[in-house]
Amino acid sequence: MATIEINGKVVEARDGAMLIEAAAEAGFAIPHFCYHRKLTIAASCRMCLVEVEKAPKPLPACATPVSDGMKVQTRSPKALAAQKAVMEFLLINHPLDCPICDQGGECDLQELAVGYGGDVTRFAEGKRVVGDPDLGPLIATEMTRCIHCTRCVRFIAEIAGTRELGAPGRGEHMHITSWLGGQVGSELSGNVIDLCPVGALTSKPFRFRARAWELNARPAVAMHDGLGANLWFDTLRGQVLRARPRDNEAVNECWLSDRDRFACAGLHSDDRLRQPLLRDRNGWREAGWDEALPRAAQLLRNIVDNRGGEQLAALAAPSQSAEEYYLLQKLLRALGSPHIEHRLRQGCFTAQEAMPLMPGLGMAPEALQAGDAFLMVGCHLRKEQPLLNHRVRQAVLNGAAAMAINPVVWPSNYPLAAEQTVAPSRLAGALAEVAQALAGGEAGGEAAAMAERLRDAEQPLILVGAVAQMGEYLGAILAQAMQVAEACGGRVAFLPEGGNSAAAWLAGAVPHRGVAGSHAPTVGKHLRQLYAEPVAGLLLLGIEPERDSLDPAAMARLLEAAEGVVALAAYDSPLLREHADVILPLATWAESAGTQINHAGLWQSYRGAVAAPGEARPGWKVLRVLGNLLDLDGFDFNAADEVLAELRAAVDRQGAFAPTPWPAVALPDAPASVEAVAALSPYSVDAMVRRSPPLQAASDAPQPCCRVHPALAERLGRPQRVRVGDGAASAVLALEIDERVADGCIVVPTAIAETALLGALTGAISVEQAA
Amino acid sequence: MKLAKALKSLFLIELLRGMRLTGKRLFSPKVTVQYPDEKTPQSHRFRGLHAQRRYANGEERCIACKLCEVVCPALAITIEAEPREDGSRRTTRYEIDLFKCIYCGFCEESCPVDSIVETRHFEFCMENNSERVIDKQRLLEMGDRFEAQIAADRALDRPYR
Amino acid sequence: MANDVCFRLNHLDRSWALAVYRDQHGYEVLEQVLREQRDPARLIDELKTSALRGRGGAGFPTGLKWSFMQRGAPGQKYIVCNADEGEPGTCKDRDIMRYNPHQLIEGMALAGYVIGATRGYVYLRGEFWEPYERLQGAIEEARAAGLLGSNLLGSGFDFDLDIHLGAGAYICGEETALLESIEGKKGQPRYKPPFPASYGLYGRPTTINNVETLASVPEIIRHGGQWFLELGKPNNGGTKIFSVSGHVERPGNYEVPLGTPFAELLEMAGGVLGGRRLKAVIPGGSSTPVVPGERMMEVTMDYDGIAKAGSMLGAGSVIVIDETVCMVRLLARLSHFYYEESCGQCTPCREGTGWLARVVHRIEHGQGRAEDLDLLDSVAGNIGGRTICALGDAAAMPVQSFLKHFRDEFEYHIEHGRCMVGATPAHG
Repeated sequence: MATIEINGKVVEARDGAMLIEAAAEAGFAIPHFCYHRKLTIAASCRMCLVEVEKAPKPLPACATPVSDGMKVQTRSPKALAAQKAVMEFLLINHPLDCPICDQGGECDLQELAVGYGGDVTRFAEGKRVVGDPDLGPLIATEMTRCIHCTRCVRFIAEIAGTRELGAPGRGEHMHITSWLGGQVGSELSGNVIDLCPVGALTSKPFRFRARAWELNARPAVAMHDGLGANLWFDTLRGQVLRARPRDNEAVNECWLSDRDRFACAGLHSDDRLRQPLLRDRNGWREAGWDEALPRAAQLLRNIVDNRGGEQLAALAAPSQSAEEYYLLQKLLRALGSPHIEHRLRQGCFTAQEAMPLMPGLGMAPEALQAGDAFLMVGCHLRKEQPLLNHRVRQAVLNGAAAMAINPVVWPSNYPLAAEQTVAPSRLAGALAEVAQALAGGEAGGEAAAMAERLRDAEQPLILVGAVAQMGEYLGAILAQAMQVAEACGGRVAFLPEGGNSAAAWLAGAVPHRGVAGSHAPTVGKHLRQLYAEPVAGLLLLGIEPERDSLDPAAMARLLEAAEGVVALAAYDSPLLREHADVILPLATWAESAGTQINHAGLWQSYRGAVAAPGEARPGWKVLRVLGNLLDLDGFDFNAADEVLAELRAAVDRQGAFAPTPWPAVALPDAPASVEAVAALSPYSVDAMVRRSPPLQAASDAPQPCCRVHPALAERLGRPQRVRVGDGAASAVLALEIDERVADGCIVVPTAIAETALLGALTGAISVEQAA
Repeated sequence: MKLAKALKSLFLIELLRGMRLTGKRLFSPKVTVQYPDEKTPQSHRFRGLHAQRRYANGEERCIACKLCEVVCPALAITIEAEPREDGSRRTTRYEIDLFKCIYCGFCEESCPVDSIVETRHFEFCMENNSERVIDKQRLLEMGDRFEAQIAADRALDRPYR
Repeated sequence: MANDVCFRLNHLDRSWALAVYRDQHGYEVLEQVLREQRDPARLIDELKTSALRGRGGAGFPTGLKWSFMQRGAPGQKYIVCNADEGEPGTCKDRDIMRYNPHQLIEGMALAGYVIGATRGYVYLRGEFWEPYERLQGAIEEARAAGLLGSNLLGSGFDFDLDIHLGAGAYICGEETALLESIEGKKGQPRYKPPFPASYGLYGRPTTINNVETLASVPEIIRHGGQWFLELGKPNNGGTKIFSVSGHVERPGNYEVPLGTPFAELLEMAGGVLGGRRLKAVIPGGSSTPVVPGERMMEVTMDYDGIAKAGSMLGAGSVIVIDETVCMVRLLARLSHFYYEESCGQCTPCREGTGWLARVVHRIEHGQGRAEDLDLLDSVAGNIGGRTICALGDAAAMPVQSFLKHFRDEFEYHIEHGRCMVGATPAHG
């Protein structure tokens, strides 16, 4: 600790702290633009110049480390003169267009200019005008307003790790632009909007829609990946207009992934359901809740009474609230059905008994940054969990080793210490080789290298991701991952794609376990079993059946086979219209109270930011009333908090959970023909994201094309278009040749209209040249 | 005392006094304004019905900065905006509730482009409740109608702004 | 007494050849130092005795600079030679590399030995094609002769040298911008501290010296620090190359002892062109303050002497200005140079240099206003001392000194819209 004096106040400051931090802690705000606590120090805006005793010149507070006995004046005439001079320089070339600038009202320059700017300019020359680069559908640019703080450049280089922005040109000609004029493709690009202290980089979807002062900021928790990033929804007249990060060092720091930031545009989609819908002889008609709810209850009651409780099943999307999962399973189990499932994109359910209490990291995201070895298996971490990837990247920059065994070499924003590219059926085999090498056996080069890095590490972590989840080999992969983890003293983190999977597991929305992993008296059918042996009645929660399932064809058959289908859905869907009997409009998580449980097991509750459109209602309320109407006990909740309290009490009661040990799962055989790899675009994961126009225009949006290795393309005769299918259905898609794909595999996009009729995109698939 | 009163009433003094006043007023200049045939003079700062102005090339001035909306003490103004096709910042909705408006003129003062103004026009009426909210279309029409007067008034006031 | 140190071979034919340099006792010092494994601390003491100061402009004592390097610290260290020579008016390093490249190489090898660096870089101005060929040829000759490379002369000391060509940015003459440029980044100065001695090239301890400084080292060690000191005067040891340009009869490089009177130097350069009156002198390159002619005639050419006259020795680029020059126009040219060459990183310099250049340009073209002179002074004052590197000061100092000494010319321009110097009418 160093003792320094700031404006006459004696302050204790951490050794190595910069003056600006020490001053902020002591309650003295020093004006600044280029300084940001998460970025490297540029010391280039010069706004934070302060007077330091014995220094001949004013020093930048952001780049001057404290030293014992230092005496600093932040508001002395000398310091103020320097700060005001810098403000004058900043303003001479800054346009006076605050009235049309989206940053107006929340602009650092505007605010500081009130305190440090003059009222009449001395600058009588022409102002600089700069052209605006097109940075893509997310970021709007007005580079004439740029004050060259380079926060955006530093963010993209240091945090996003893509070096897509730069500042070419010298002096006044220096300007911020993208690499070769391209669009910014980073999955974290939206953060430059927050970082920009002026209106040079603003949000394109939000452009000109509202002013900062008229917005109401409502706290929320994002539900598009398992992290549960904290955010503010800025609302105006009952509409969510934009999302901004809400600082939480333990979760998302001050960042937000583009998916979390821009998904809210999907809330206003035209196909939101606003009114309960009932199927009549004449087709669909809108109805009131007082009619729809009894009808839904009656439908469920009839199934249970006529066909038995076990002929009823419930399917929930993996991004509903914990309260909804809890009530859904409570309702189902009270009706005598054990069939409740949320793992709609999981391809394999063997060894589900051995799964931990809930999937996830099992540690705080912050702890990742201190990790020393990461092995990603079937995991495109960068796009699946952007902010976890950022933590891993920081660890790698500090010397950790990141390794990957994937069916595709995805571009990484940090160097990988070792990498294997194998077909999905070989993922488990590749892991087995690593385990063998760890045990001292013979192994190939990359496997041996991986084993060495894992052995040397103190906290090795094996990340099994959504790519593994969506294959039929998940059980074998997880079993082998456990073997590797055991051999190197590490852990396995299974990260499914769902935004609230952990809550679903914990609340008992799985067929084989009750709340908090409690023993289920009857083990229900998991999704594949349901596909194989359909039931008579279905209760669907938040599902868009043609997109939310790994196997939409089987899902369609399941719906078709059911006699009665009650769907709670936020968005309209052709398959629901075709097969459901009652559709109840559902509020999304942005419009209702709920709880997200993240990778680290952190419970984060939120309130609805706005009211749901039309007659749409929160899922917990609908389920509660259904429970009442079905005369079930324990459904008299008056608030989401009460549901949560009951869930929490149940979890607390349950105590420690011990899964059954991992069974030996045989290594799968590779299919004889071409093997499919399902590609789930990060912007296809849930219904809201799929309806966000800016995200669908972004570079990570799903592309209707297949990709294969050049060798396989050669064998197929290098066709322009291919017909892919599973015998029952097929789709014709463009073919791209990509040497990053493992040989023998074809990457087929899932959750898009073109492939919505295909079966599960895993295992063997037929590929032939198409006209 | 009694005598004085008796003499006054005998010679009709009060009546004559009254007649004198009447006679005086009969020949002095008249001050009564015969509205609506005649009108009182108006200040160029008169704050009457609102209007939105255009530039000489026909382009609307309003840039949807929403300063009038936030400064309005009566919350009479409602604005919605989005980028126009050419990328410029424009309102898609601009409404003033004339029943809420207190004609304080803050909107006019806050406007950075002299778009929203209060004209000298004050003789307006409405027959339906819904007409109390005037929209952008109406405001622009008012602007077109009174532009010459508005411009002349602003020019007069320029030295003081 | 001239051309004693860096230019000592200039009179010889093919002075850049290794054989010629060898003839003139070249590389003897390096051989001796390596053979005897001389104590680096003693060599630094010798430099300190010699009072050799950095010849690139700042005049920092070289011995002291070298002593900042942690010789024994583990890891790679670097010696970098700043041969960017971008200061308008300077052309001395070019001639050292053209006529005496081996002395620079020997100096760098000695520096590498002293500070413990095994790797050297010469950051050479991209336009210097002839010096590049000479120096590159010399490096190859030296390498072939075992004077560069691994295990020099069997001593176990490794040292090799590479040339990095710049791309013509003035700012890359600033030592940390130069390091960034070698690293392949945009040439922008770094904020100091940390100084290059602790965090330099690729984050490793680095010493950066000017060509003339490094080329002086072998002679200092050969003859002893005292010999060098006595060439000049106390605290201003040795000889210095002055690049005399502007209105003189014989412009060129003159290596003279520090402390030589300016009048003498002017004499050597043949006096003012055409016998005209001396109006002013910029004694150390375009970024140093201008000194009026009559004051300059009393000055001795050394660090302290010129400082007394209110300017700086800088890189020793003496720009002589005669009575036919319009000072407003000259300042407009200088200000435009700094406006073009500011790197754009920090605010006062990026915005301020453009402002200064525009106002001076306006005055020159007869559109000045009465308040412009105070504005110029104030803006220059707001830039000076508030930037990351010295370019801000370099841009501000000419403005302030021109206004101080030649305010009447500026006022005349503003008042009459034209120039008071008849020879160069304003272009209003």
